[in-house]
Amino acid sequence: MSELPSVNPWLDPSQKPYIQIENVTKKFGDFTAIDNLNLDIYKNEFFSLLGPSGCGKTTLLRMLAGFEKVTNGRILLDGEDISEIPPHLRPINMMFQSYALFPHMTVEKNIAFGLKQDNLPPNEINQRVEEMLQLVELTDFAKRKPNQLSGGQSQRVALARSLAKRPKLLLLDEPLGALDKRLREQTQFELMDIQEKLEVTFVIVTHDQEEAMTVSSRIGVMDSGNLIQVATPTEIYEAPVNKDVADFIGDVNILRGIYKGQNDVGTQLHSDDSDSIVFATQEVGASTGDEMWFAIRPEKLEISKKKPTDQHNILNGRIEDIAYGGSFSTYHVRLDNGRILKAIRANRVRTEEHHLTWEDEVYLHWTPHSAVVLLS
Amino acid sequence: MFFMLPFIFVLKISLAEPIMAIPPYTALLEWGDSFFPSIRASLESYLFLFSDSLYIKAYLSSLKIAIISTILTLLIGYSIAYSVAKAPTRWRGVLLMLVILPFWTSFLIRVYAWIGILKTEGLLNLALMSIGIIDKPLIIMNTDLAVYIGIVYSYLPFMILPLYANLEKMDMSLLEAAADLGCRPFKTFWTVTIPLSMPGILAGCFLVFIPVMGEFVIPDLLGGTKTLMIGKVLWTEFFYNRDWPVASAVAIILLALLVVPIMLYQKSQEKAIS
Repeated sequence: MSELPSVNPWLDPSQKPYIQIENVTKKFGDFTAIDNLNLDIYKNEFFSLLGPSGCGKTTLLRMLAGFEKVTNGRILLDGEDISEIPPHLRPINMMFQSYALFPHMTVEKNIAFGLKQDNLPPNEINQRVEEMLQLVELTDFAKRKPNQLSGGQSQRVALARSLAKRPKLLLLDEPLGALDKRLREQTQFELMDIQEKLEVTFVIVTHDQEEAMTVSSRIGVMDSGNLIQVATPTEIYEAPVNKDVADFIGDVNILRGIYKGQNDVGTQLHSDDSDSIVFATQEVGASTGDEMWFAIRPEKLEISKKKPTDQHNILNGRIEDIAYGGSFSTYHVRLDNGRILKAIRANRVRTEEHHLTWEDEVYLHWTPHSAVVLLS
Repeated sequence: MFFMLPFIFVLKISLAEPIMAIPPYTALLEWGDSFFPSIRASLESYLFLFSDSLYIKAYLSSLKIAIISTILTLLIGYSIAYSVAKAPTRWRGVLLMLVILPFWTSFLIRVYAWIGILKTEGLLNLALMSIGIIDKPLIIMNTDLAVYIGIVYSYLPFMILPLYANLEKMDMSLLEAAADLGCRPFKTFWTVTIPLSMPGILAGCFLVFIPVMGEFVIPDLLGGTKTLMIGKVLWTEFFYNRDWPVASAVAIILLALLVVPIMLYQKSQEKAIS
């Protein structure tokens, strides 16, 4: 996650948001791409718009850039309504998914392009281009043309070009999509460093939830033109607002239950998957008999052959599949009623004493704090 | 080799002498007393061309008309190609069809149609006079202007198609990137679109310039006696004067003049592919 001042700006009522998206709707003919969306983004955030293909995240980004006009509503930047301002007049720059480097210009000229539009004096332009080349470590590539660059190098040029004008807001459209895994991881941290160093607000669109979790100050999860949840990566992961968000981020086991009431530990549910009653620690305002769900992340399910001493939060089943991942192993456990749950355990002991193997009868157990109750 | 045959024939005829016979030129090889035939060739046709200023004037006039026509065709053709490339995808096929459709009718008939439009009592003058823009008919037929109209009209598809092929493939995100970096739309056109459409522009220009240099039908039907083009001169030599050697020499020299543009065209296409 990226670092921010000790009180997160979105929790501080005295802080004014840098970007305000107010009641924005975008229609393409009959199709509603963005449906009455409201969002505040604060200065120096590294904000991610995350969601499946077609959820509207790229459309929202393009509206911030000015390439799509708002059908209804308005967009404010630092208090000023920019909804009607065309893209070439907005103090915002964008890094395109395809990089969009000008093929007939050298790397230098690509980076200098935006500065030339502002009619800056030539030596200032050269200086700024030098700075940018150093920032992305491509000083030796200044005279090359885009068709002489690798994918990673093209990406850096695109980044340098988009930062050359020192915009206050940088939009990034799936910037790491075309890179291989190792390069992607490396670039994620570099992006975070650059963002902090230059004090630019970043808004990034991605469908890769791991990426969003790594780099973001906050994530906005979108689906079908709506914002489902806006929160820090931790909150999104550990306290998803509904089944869709829980399922979209990382792995999760979602079980159904019937509300029985509250006791001193928390919410009491009766689950279809086991005869023992299940607890979770949230307080939920509901009535007896209401249907709800609880979500448990695989790493929070303890798996063992010995029956746990607790009375509650126990399921038993048989190991059907094991995926050995080196640092951890994933166990697929089939319960008596046929449902399969996923449990992950770190391989902390080199020679496994409590060795688990296929067909083993095991108990799955979790603490009341580990599960999240979901109402929808 | 097959494509070279006509050229070789014409070259052979250009080196012969005109005679009253069928065909009206001397043979290249003559069998006399000795065992091997002797070669009878002469450069008198070529010398004749250089001596009479008519031919030099005709080449220069063709050059002038070809260059101006190419520029006019480029200006009109680029606008059309650009509009089609920017049109909604489902309309593009139809629009291109409209551009190519005239090709399906005979070239000669289309040129004749222009006579009907441009002549003194033709459609254009009738329309303008009935609206009241002019009270005396415009004299367009049998002038250089009519030739330009005819050439631009006939050769537009040759300009539009390569331009369109290039513009259609253009990455729209490049234009967005330019705008995002602060470039106004008009300037984006000159700094991004035009340089990137250069291969299409060059292809279109060569595909118009090279054939127009030797164009005959359009200047003959639409132009006046003052409209001097080398194609007409060649025709006159061949059919009226029955001087096949001179006519052939005219053709060979025209080809020699076009070698440079043709090679430039080849080079530009190779560059575009790489």
